[in-house]
Amino acid sequence: MSEGAPADAPQQEIARLQRRLRRETAARLEAEAIAERGLRDLFQRQQEISLLERIAVAANEAASVDDAMRHALDAVCRYSGWPLGHLLLVREGAATGLIASTVWHDESDGRYAAMRALTETMDFCDAGLPAKVLRSALPAWANADAPDAGEYPRMPLLVQLGLASLFAFPVVIGQEVVAVLEFFSRERQTPEESMLRLMAQVGTQLGRVIERRRAQERLVHDALHDPLTQLGNRKLFLDRLDHFLVRSQRIPDYQFAVLFVDLDRFKAINDGLGHQAGDQVIVGTARRLSSCLRQNDLVARDAAFDHVVSRLGGDEFTVLLDNVTSAATPIRVAERLLEALAPPFLIGQQQVFVTASIGIALSSSGYQDVQVMLRDADIAMYHAKQNGRARWMMFDQTMQEGALRRLTLEAELRLAMGARQLYLQYQPIITPQDGVIRGFEALLRWRHPVLGMISPLEFIPVAEEVGLIGAIGGWVLEEACRQLRAWQQDHAMPSHLPLSMSVNVSATQLAGGALVDVVTRVLAESGIAHGSLKLELTESAVMADAEHALAVFKELKALGVRLSLDDFGTGYSSLSHLRRLPIDTLKIDRSFVSAMDSHGDKRQIAEVVVMLARTLGLDVVAEGVETLAELDILREMGSDFVQGYFYFRPLDAADATLALAAPTEPNAR
Amino acid sequence: MKGIVFNLLEEAVSTEFGDATWDRLLDDADLDGAYTSLGSYDDAEILRLVSVASAALNIPEQDVLRWFGRRAMPLLAKRYPTFFANHPNTRSFLLTLNNIIHPEVRKLYPGASPPVFDFDTGDNDDLVIGYNSARRLCALAEGFMQGAAEHFGEQAGITQSACMHHGAAKCSFHVRFHP
Repeated sequence: MSEGAPADAPQQEIARLQRRLRRETAARLEAEAIAERGLRDLFQRQQEISLLERIAVAANEAASVDDAMRHALDAVCRYSGWPLGHLLLVREGAATGLIASTVWHDESDGRYAAMRALTETMDFCDAGLPAKVLRSALPAWANADAPDAGEYPRMPLLVQLGLASLFAFPVVIGQEVVAVLEFFSRERQTPEESMLRLMAQVGTQLGRVIERRRAQERLVHDALHDPLTQLGNRKLFLDRLDHFLVRSQRIPDYQFAVLFVDLDRFKAINDGLGHQAGDQVIVGTARRLSSCLRQNDLVARDAAFDHVVSRLGGDEFTVLLDNVTSAATPIRVAERLLEALAPPFLIGQQQVFVTASIGIALSSSGYQDVQVMLRDADIAMYHAKQNGRARWMMFDQTMQEGALRRLTLEAELRLAMGARQLYLQYQPIITPQDGVIRGFEALLRWRHPVLGMISPLEFIPVAEEVGLIGAIGGWVLEEACRQLRAWQQDHAMPSHLPLSMSVNVSATQLAGGALVDVVTRVLAESGIAHGSLKLELTESAVMADAEHALAVFKELKALGVRLSLDDFGTGYSSLSHLRRLPIDTLKIDRSFVSAMDSHGDKRQIAEVVVMLARTLGLDVVAEGVETLAELDILREMGSDFVQGYFYFRPLDAADATLALAAPTEPNAR
Repeated sequence: MKGIVFNLLEEAVSTEFGDATWDRLLDDADLDGAYTSLGSYDDAEILRLVSVASAALNIPEQDVLRWFGRRAMPLLAKRYPTFFANHPNTRSFLLTLNNIIHPEVRKLYPGASPPVFDFDTGDNDDLVIGYNSARRLCALAEGFMQGAAEHFGEQAGITQSACMHHGAAKCSFHVRFHP
């Protein structure tokens, strides 16, 4: 046995070495396989990273969504070896489904033209692989030889072109599918999990491109639109206006119009019902303006007629009318807009009536500047307001001149008081029986160093509008009472009939809350007898808000001040109101006095006023007495007082002082 | 040349002629023969092995290469089944060489420089395959085509109309497959 061992030994040794060799070979193959797997994974990872990098670059640097998608299609095709890729966009807004874009990645030289043409004409609402992706928000694929291949309309052409498979995945923002990318491959596809994950990442990254574009569009929209009404804002309006203006300069027969629409008394709605109600009125107005302009019959007569409605701010709207054939078009539109606003708005339980004033400017005036055209429409609107509101006015050049003068006066008036350009004149008020001066009416004058004398008829409305009337009115009261105090001290009158001072009070002063306080202060400062101050108010100022006027009058009466109703008979006289008002004097307007000796009707009206005053226990003052004939009639009628050129023109303080001191000669002046 | 090619050659030779034959070829070629699939080796080594085999078997070198290509294909199919799985026939498989298989080869073997094929599918059943490689191993490529046809159970009719060995810019094969 012992000899056998050496004989066996080499055989066993060989067998052992062979086993060992097999082990070593197996270990080497195993090691190689592990290394290969590692290399493949590494390569795969690098490819994925490079794909995602390319997608990120496409997403961040592309000039447009299409551009980004084109780069993404290119990157995915390069990664996967697919020869053809295509973008489909999800419809925005109410409609659903996909739109086949013209954005492709195509490596062939026209070889897939038939597929591209077919795809771009297809309706992907519920057919094909992309629609499946849209529904599921998941990647999907279809192979030419799979059992479900018949479900895909493009499959026969796909096979004909030497392709074998279709793969698509969604571009998403959160859960929302916003686009679908589809790819065609030569090989059948059975994507691995890692591939699907990668495409999901690509889809999410590309979603950000669309999300960013949406955000940009929203920013642009917001920058050009009014958030409350969603109408265009001032900027959009001016942009469009500029565009129209350029076109009107280029095309000879092209015309357009600007309508400036401003709600009447909107501030009262806002103050009375609150800002929320005000906002509802604005929104409702915007809606009515827009829908009125959309009505077909309005635009039928002008073929290429178009419009833009904007809100400039507050209660100001503009309407741009494109391609108008004549002035008749904007006028027709303006009238329709006024009609559209006529029915009341229901705000809460409250019916709110709103009217608007509309100014119209036409491009045929040859504008060069959008601001000028807007200004002119604004000026015309202002005139519509001045002419009684709830109407339209067409701009003409005289309005512009008037507006310019107003602007000048407004600026100059702000400086006038400080510069001592304002002063008072005094017109004596006389008892016609004896010709004795019983008092004065204080009259405001403005002498401008350059413009000269400016009539109160012109500057008082400006002062009222810009809010200077309170300060000016207060100064007039102070100055007039101070002067009266001086005269009363120097010229003793019977104690039951002290020298009086009449001061005019404007409607704005009456409506504002400060009048009673100002009068109280001025009376205290001047120390005059309260009864010697007469405040003169016009009938129209009183009637604007009769209840409020009545309350103020009562307070003034409580102070002992006397009240006079100016211009009586010229407006809508309401006798019932007259009876309720605690006034002391009626004034017969100069228009009834002038030439009353030759006009029986004027004389009769004056007579009625005197009789009315007698009945109500009021004094009568006739103004504008210029001739002896007029004076005789008034004296005969029993007018208590008269004033006018027959006796005195309005006098400066010094001259008035002289007139007071002069001896009285009845009928002599 | 990648080590995997030497490994395939070793496996083909060993399977058909036994381990000892491979050892002898190495000895005759004066090569140490330690090849790992992931390594890179001098092209001259494979040419020497082919030359030695040609002498030992008394067949032309081109035929050695054709034989090797045919025998290597089933070994590749065993080793990389996924390359073959998605194809119904040889033609389909060959058409993906540039786009699928070579990229896959590059994944595994960084630095590999596989040959470039071009295909003319034309209008008839003939597939015209162009081969262009500095190694000029067109016979190996032909063997691979034959082996692939056998893998898919098809007959391949291959004629070579141009060859780099005869001064052509690239080699050209007209190939037709029958079930």
